[in-house]
This record gives sequence, C-alpha cells and structure tokens, in this order.
Amino acid sequence: MAKKTNNVTPWDIQGEIDYQDLAQRFGTRLLSEDILERMEKHAGREHFMLRRGIFYSHRDVDEVLDHYDAGGQFALYTGRGPSGPVHLGHLVPWVFTKHLQDIYGCKLVFQFTDDEKMLIREDYDAEITSHWVYENALDLMALGFDPDKTEFIVDMKHTAKLFSIALKVAKRITWSTMRAVFGFNEDSNLGIIFFPTMQIAPCFIESERSGEPVPCLIPAGIDQDPYWRLTRDVATKLGYPKPAQIHGRMLPGLTGNAKMSSSMPETAIFTSDVPELVEKKIQDMPTPENRVDCLAYLLHYFLLTESDEEVNELHHECTVNQRSCQECKMELVEKVNKFLLAHQRRRKLIGKSVKRMLE
Amino acid sequence: MTDEPNKEMVVTPWDVSGQIDYDKLIEQFGVSPMTKEIEEKIAEHAGFKHLQLRRGVYLSHRDTDWWIKEYEKGNKVGLYTGRGPSGHVHLGHLLPWFFCKYLQDAFDADLYFQMTDDEKFLHRDDLTLEEAIELTYENALDVIACGLTPEKTHIFSDTDHISHLYKLGVKVAKRVTFSTVRAVFGFNNSDNIGSIWHPALQMMVCFLQSEREGKNIPCLIPAAIDQDPYWRITRDIAEKMGYYKPAQIHAKFLPGLAEGGKMSASQPDTAIFTTDEPKKAAKKVMRAFTGGRDTVEEQREKGGRPEVCNVYAYYYFLFEENDAALVERELMCKQGKILCGECKKELASRVELFLTDFQKKREAAREVLDQFLIKPVE
Repeated sequence: MAKKTNNVTPWDIQGEIDYQDLAQRFGTRLLSEDILERMEKHAGREHFMLRRGIFYSHRDVDEVLDHYDAGGQFALYTGRGPSGPVHLGHLVPWVFTKHLQDIYGCKLVFQFTDDEKMLIREDYDAEITSHWVYENALDLMALGFDPDKTEFIVDMKHTAKLFSIALKVAKRITWSTMRAVFGFNEDSNLGIIFFPTMQIAPCFIESERSGEPVPCLIPAGIDQDPYWRLTRDVATKLGYPKPAQIHGRMLPGLTGNAKMSSSMPETAIFTSDVPELVEKKIQDMPTPENRVDCLAYLLHYFLLTESDEEVNELHHECTVNQRSCQECKMELVEKVNKFLLAHQRRRKLIGKSVKRMLE
Repeated sequence: MTDEPNKEMVVTPWDVSGQIDYDKLIEQFGVSPMTKEIEEKIAEHAGFKHLQLRRGVYLSHRDTDWWIKEYEKGNKVGLYTGRGPSGHVHLGHLLPWFFCKYLQDAFDADLYFQMTDDEKFLHRDDLTLEEAIELTYENALDVIACGLTPEKTHIFSDTDHISHLYKLGVKVAKRVTFSTVRAVFGFNNSDNIGSIWHPALQMMVCFLQSEREGKNIPCLIPAAIDQDPYWRITRDIAEKMGYYKPAQIHAKFLPGLAEGGKMSASQPDTAIFTTDEPKKAAKKVMRAFTGGRDTVEEQREKGGRPEVCNVYAYYYFLFEENDAALVERELMCKQGKILCGECKKELASRVELFLTDFQKKREAAREVLDQFLIKPVE
C-alpha cells in the first residue's frame, strides 16, 4: 500500500513516491514549456526523457541556459556511493547527463563518495570499495562520456581537490542547520556531520579553479534536494553561483519497490547480469495487466525505447489488443539483453582509459 | 601593589586565563604527576638533563614511562605535536619545540608536526583560509629553526596535506559522536560543522605514523596541558581501533610579559615574537611586568618577588642555562641586592642575542622547508 506521507531523505527512500507532491513540498519548479523549447533548440531535438517527463522538475535551469546563451560555460555534477553494482535505474540519469554533455560541451564532475560508505557501513572494506569505484566508472564511461571532459573525484583519494572548498562551506553551516536538514542528533559521528560539505564542494570546484563564476547543473533524483537547498544558501554567502538542479524520476524496482536497489538484487537488473539471469528476473517480475505502471512498460519508457511510436504501440498492444504478458516479457528480455551486451562490450574496451582517469 | 582576587581559572584548548593552579589541573584532568624516574630516564637516554626537565616545566604525563620502556625494548617510538598557525610565533611556543628536538635526538624518534590551519580558519571570522595556510609555512620556519632533523620531521598543513590525513581522519571520526565532543569541548547549536569535525583530524595524528609504517608505533605528545581533552578522547578509541593509546607529557604555560596566563599571540604586547626586530624585543623586556616593589627603598628593604616576576620566568624557562646562576639571581633579588632595571637589562641583551641568532636560522629554514614537509608513503 502506498503511504500517505512519503518520508524522503537522501539516505532513505521508502514508500511509493508522489513526484508532483515532492516537487511542491520541496518548492522546486516544474520544467516549463519555455525551458523545454530552449533545450530542444540547443540539442536540435527533444530528448525523450524530457518529453516523457522523466526529468520533470528543476531549480534555476533557466538561469544556466541564460548563462550559456550569453556565451558562458557551465559544468555538470553528479556522483555515486561506490557500494555495489550499477543497475538500469542508475543509467537513466546518466544517459540524460551524457545528452547534456553532448549538447552543451560541458565538463562533468563525477564524485565517488567512498568516505560516506566508510562512515555508514559497518562492513566497509577499502578493497571492495575501490573495486566498485572502478566497475561503476566503467559503466558510466561505457555510455559514451567524453573522457577529456569528465573528471572522477574519489573523496578519500582526491581529497585535496575538495577539502579547502569543503572547509569554506563548513564554516558557513551551523550544527543546528545540519540537524534540521539531515536529522542528525547527539549520536551522529563527526564524520557524517562533516561529510555533506564534501558532497557540496564539487558544486563550486569549477568556479574555484577558473576564478570566475561557472554555474553547476546537477541532474539528480529529487530526494537529494535538501542537499542542494542548503548548498544554494551557502553559495550566496561564499560568492559562488548557486548550483542548479534538474530532477528526475526513478525507475521503479522489479518487485514493485519505489526504485531499483543495489542492496536488494532481486529488484534490479544489473549491467553485469548475464542473459539467463536477466531472463529469470524479467520472468519473475509481476506485471499488472493493462496498467501504465507495469514494469515491463516502464523499462521501455524510461530507458530502452526512445521512439514514442514504438512505446505507444506497446501500450496499444497491451491495453487494446490484449497481448499476453508472456509475449511482452519475451520481447523485453531480448531488448534488455541486446542493450546489456552492447554495454558490456563497450565496458571491455575502455578499461585502460578509465584506470587512468581514476589515478 | 594591591593583590587582586584570583580570576577563576579557565583551561580549555581555546582559552587559558586566570591564575593557573597546576595541582588542581592534574587532578581535574586525571593525569599522573611527573616523576623523578621519568625525568632521569629521559636524561639518561639524551646524555644530559634538559633545562626544562631540571626546572619542572613538565608537570604531568600519561604513559610516558611506558613509551620510554618500549624504546628500551628496542622498539621504534614517535613524537607528535603541533600548532594552530594564527599569527607569529612567540618565545612561549618554542619551549615544547626545543623539547621535541631534545626528545627526537634522545629517542631517535620521528616527529609529526601538525599545523591546524583548518581549525584557525574555522574559529576566526577575520582569517581567510589562504591566510591561515600562509601562516602555516611561516610558522614552519620557526619549528625548523629549533634544530629538528629533516629526515625525521614531518610538518604538515591540515589543508594542503589533507590527502595524507583524510582517510584516517574519517576512520577516527566514525568512532566519535557529537555528544562526546560537546561534553569535552562545549560545542553548541551555533558552532559550525567544520569546528565540530576538526577534533577528528587532530586525534588521527596519534595513529598516523603507525598507519603509514604499517605497524604500531608508540606515540608521545609533548604539549601544553590545555590540549589534553583531545588526547583523553583519543585514548578512549585507540585500542578499539587497534592502535596504542597515545602518551602525553604536559608542559606548564610560559608566563607572558604581562601578568597572568600564558604568553598569547592574540595580546601582542605580552609576548616576544620570533620575528620581532631584536632591538624592539629588548625594549619590550624593559617594559615587562616584574615582581619588583613600588620604590627602590622598599625593594632594597623587602627584596623582590621572583615568584610573580615575568623577567625571572624568562631566565627560568629559557635564558639561564646555569642552575647555580639562576639560584644566585633569585637570592640576590629576594635580598634586595639586585634591582629590576639591572635584571631586565641583562635579559634584554640575552633576548636580543638569541633573536639575532634564531632569525638567521629561521631565514636559512626557507631554503630547506621542503625537506621537512610530509611526503607520501613509499
């Protein structure tokens, strides 16, 4: 059952998510026709994730576009906690981020928060974590990001890049603010209290490096918004441009969870899954008949099928022609495996280059 | 002179004021009083007994006897001290550094020297991070001028050298809760989160050498007793993390040229800075607070009071190496046979001489600064 109140924090997503409600509650704005048109003009086409409202809400994207139109450059920033394998849900915002890098020719700063992993996991293991950093970086780069315009920052390895900015940020945030935003309390450890500043620092890194304002755009799940609201307050005090965000919806999990989750392998299709496993997961997936929130349909809708015509066709086949779920699943298995095989082939080709990027 | 009532004694890492009652501090901090045995052991390994040991500068300790025993068993031992680079270095700061040099030589120990430029930046509204970092390198010159060995000295800025520190800092931070640092340091709602995190970075240095060398190395911290709260909470987590508890040897505060408290860089007139022009420093000495009487007649009759005299304190802690000469000076003063002017004048010329020499070493340190900075583990 869906809960009435969604309890969304950056560390804990539970219950089905009402994205419209979240946007309203967080006070973000929905992507306007004007913004969508401008982005379409820049790209020369409309990206299916914008058209379908997968990316649907934002803060200050219009200002970033103004800056770009005036000849300025901006940077993209996103990241991940390197705690496990990447699944199809992770790829959704990355595919969109890659699209942004392509159109705007901008740099992507990608952060791996290994420090946070160490702080929140009892079973933290440095070797396992660095294994996932490398594996996850392969998944990102296999999507075709420009290696010359992509920078990985592994917090505990590249600390020097962030720390002085983090200190400046930390000086501007009081304990009471931290408690209010993240729900910290007396038992919170010193590391987790400081960590948010390390996650905020990359927003300002390109401004700091170039000595002039370089706005930063963060494609992120809307659950991360409390971070960026806090960051925006601090940015003003420090004289950096406020980071803009563009918020996406998350691909639900295979078993009906709010999102695919690495910690529940049965809910997700991982990029490393072999075809037989993909088939089993999809066969086991519940598919409510005639519903648009059918997971088979959503996989096409979020990631696999760019063409609206094809997506509409699938919908029609299901709702009008009463095509059987089994038939639909077979087709999906084939499509996912084709996607994954191509992805896995690209991963194999870029190992050396990704290793170099992580040095 | 009227006797002012004693101000209440306050000793925390940020505030030292009032008349210092060391017995009370030892009790309050739960540390062990210094023993003759420890002093003699140190002297034995050094080949001579340092002035500071002879004069009771080190009033208390924790596990210093254990640290020495480990060395005697043939195990490697290390030293850790540091400084918040908030301004120029004054003579009071040099005391523990001279002592570190003495211990470094005696125990063949590596010294990890932390410059907490992050903390200074986080605590002070009027200091930019860039300024704090610059002070780190200026102050490092003073540390080096104390005669430390480059191969065995690792000076680092918390900010510039964070990549050597952060991972271990995070490990330590995971073990320390907000309620612990609040109880120890008195943090509250309006404190910034950098200040709250900083203790982890100061604590982790106790384990840094062990971590870098891949084996447990006993660490001794020579520092003023006001830093003790850090080591108390470090000792609580050390064994859980698989390290030795850090040992400490606690110094008294060097009285300033003004009455009460330790020398303070934040009250410029109370201190002689290593960068003071030597003649100007000599003038400061001439203006110093002494234990003299209101009139010459009174002083001849009643004698001076070396026990409250800052000029005497300078002789005692730094500028009279010869014990017999010191005792002689004290007696002469108490008997009214020597007046403050005379005593100041002689100190002024010693200070001038000392500074002239120290500043030469300090300038020479610029050329070799790099050799003293922390390097990546090979």
